[in-house]
Amino acid sequence: MKRVIAMWLVTVVLIVFLYVGMTALCMNHVKPTVLGMPLLYFWFVLVPLLSPLILGALYLYDLRHNPQLEYDQQEKG
Amino acid sequence: MSVATVILGSSLFIVFLITLLGAFSGRLQSKDLEGWLVHSRRMGSFLVWFLLGSEIYTAFTFEGLAGYAYKNGAAAFYNVALNDVAYAVGFFVLPTIWLIGRRFRYVTQSDFIAGRYQSKTLGIFVAFTSAIIMIAYIDLNITGLSAVIQVIGNGAISDLWSDVIGFLILALAVFLGGIRGNALQATVKDMLMFISIGVLFVVIPIHYFGSFGIMYSQFVQKIPSYFVLPGVSKHLGVAWLITTVILNGIGQWMWPQWFGVAFTAKSPRTLKLQAVFMPFYQLVKVGVITIGFAAVLILGTSKQINGNNVVMMLATKTFPAWFVVLFTVAAMLSAIIPAGPIIMTSSGLLARNVLQALRPSMGEETVYWVTRLLVFPLTIIALILTLVVPSLIVSILLVAYDFISQFFPAVVIGGLFWRRATKEGVFAGLITGWLVTAYLVLTNHDPIGGWNAGFVALLANLAVFVVVSLLTKPVPRTHLNEFYMGAFPQESRHAMGNVAQQAGD
Repeated sequence: MKRVIAMWLVTVVLIVFLYVGMTALCMNHVKPTVLGMPLLYFWFVLVPLLSPLILGALYLYDLRHNPQLEYDQQEKG
Repeated sequence: MSVATVILGSSLFIVFLITLLGAFSGRLQSKDLEGWLVHSRRMGSFLVWFLLGSEIYTAFTFEGLAGYAYKNGAAAFYNVALNDVAYAVGFFVLPTIWLIGRRFRYVTQSDFIAGRYQSKTLGIFVAFTSAIIMIAYIDLNITGLSAVIQVIGNGAISDLWSDVIGFLILALAVFLGGIRGNALQATVKDMLMFISIGVLFVVIPIHYFGSFGIMYSQFVQKIPSYFVLPGVSKHLGVAWLITTVILNGIGQWMWPQWFGVAFTAKSPRTLKLQAVFMPFYQLVKVGVITIGFAAVLILGTSKQINGNNVVMMLATKTFPAWFVVLFTVAAMLSAIIPAGPIIMTSSGLLARNVLQALRPSMGEETVYWVTRLLVFPLTIIALILTLVVPSLIVSILLVAYDFISQFFPAVVIGGLFWRRATKEGVFAGLITGWLVTAYLVLTNHDPIGGWNAGFVALLANLAVFVVVSLLTKPVPRTHLNEFYMGAFPQESRHAMGNVAQQAGD
């Protein structure tokens, strides 16, 4: 269970970092433009596309290691 | 008959039909309180996705967010980030609360708090205060509704009447339909919203600029201050973005109506899947923000233009009447549908967690009917508040989040992870957080030192919560082991084994 919680916390921190950490460090600029878009705008188009991939990876990890699911099945059974 | 009257009349008629559809399906489904509030925990992935999306993506998304981008530039991106952070937080928190909720048959956030901290008084306190905060949140949707009617009607229908009509429909739909009705209406609303925003997002750049490339090029050349922080907003810098995203991201699930939606899912996996797929909704927000930026170039930046109205102004300026009807229906539903579960949850909290807790002789059937009847007075109070204290959509949402996020230590930190947390700690922390928030907001100190005022209040709340918890008597371990059995089975079994061994020794 601790591994599952640790992975979840890492994921939360990663998503927070992508949005606000990266913005603070290097994305808070208009140029260089990417595909014509202002840099900050591009970043906020890109990260919502990355989030489902990151959360999807967490989902697969969770599916394999989370004991809550097993307990839930027992309760239903 | 003017075009505006036809558009408004047709839109209201369609909204009325959709409301009836929801009400009719709700009548077939809701037979008791648990069925009415959490649909007996049977909603599948598809309906929960629409229901969550419909409640989270409201009039704020449809109208307010474009207005915020129009007025404050890149600061609007906070709203794209906050939901994704919330989905990541909810990935573990919501299914864990679902497991505890099913074990003890909880249907509200207050049930959960009262159960965790073994305090009926705390449950009543949380139910009452959260119900009050939720009423403030309804203002947002009434304001959104008014903005639609204001633009379409060219001022022919007063704000008062537009609010009254919208809320009559809303109150009846909630009273008759319950949450199932809202889920069906939510599906229709989300589809219309996707279509409307999608069309606007594609047509605006081509119609006014020639292509997306030219539009982006003009963004960079003509309004670069809209694409950096603090930029055009002047005071909403990177520190504000960080503190606002964190505060709102952890605060999203503290809204009792979203907490309640978690109970409607049929399994924890359903909720985890939502967390994976919900971020796709964020692209809709990016589209709306883009429309707000485009509005700066198309409409100019006159102070006479109300930011809340820019999306509707662009729609009426650009499209034929039949499309404006579709757009108006989507905008109206985006204001009406999300307010439904908020009122329903408010009434459920007051009936079940306040009135029945104070007067235990009330039977379940009485509670069920009181819950339904409370829909009307709560709706009227919200309506009165809207008329007495009119505000910008964005201001309402941000301030409401400042207050509701103060529940995070009680619900998540103490509620799931820190077993030493006590009811006294929760009481003291909440009161501290709310007082600090109220002081900073009312004295115009938001942001303070560049930080979101609610975040500063949350830090004060957290410090008091921890200190007071450590100084007061903890909840008995035997109760906590039983309470967490469904959520943390291995740990609870291990702890129970230790307790049994100590008893044997």
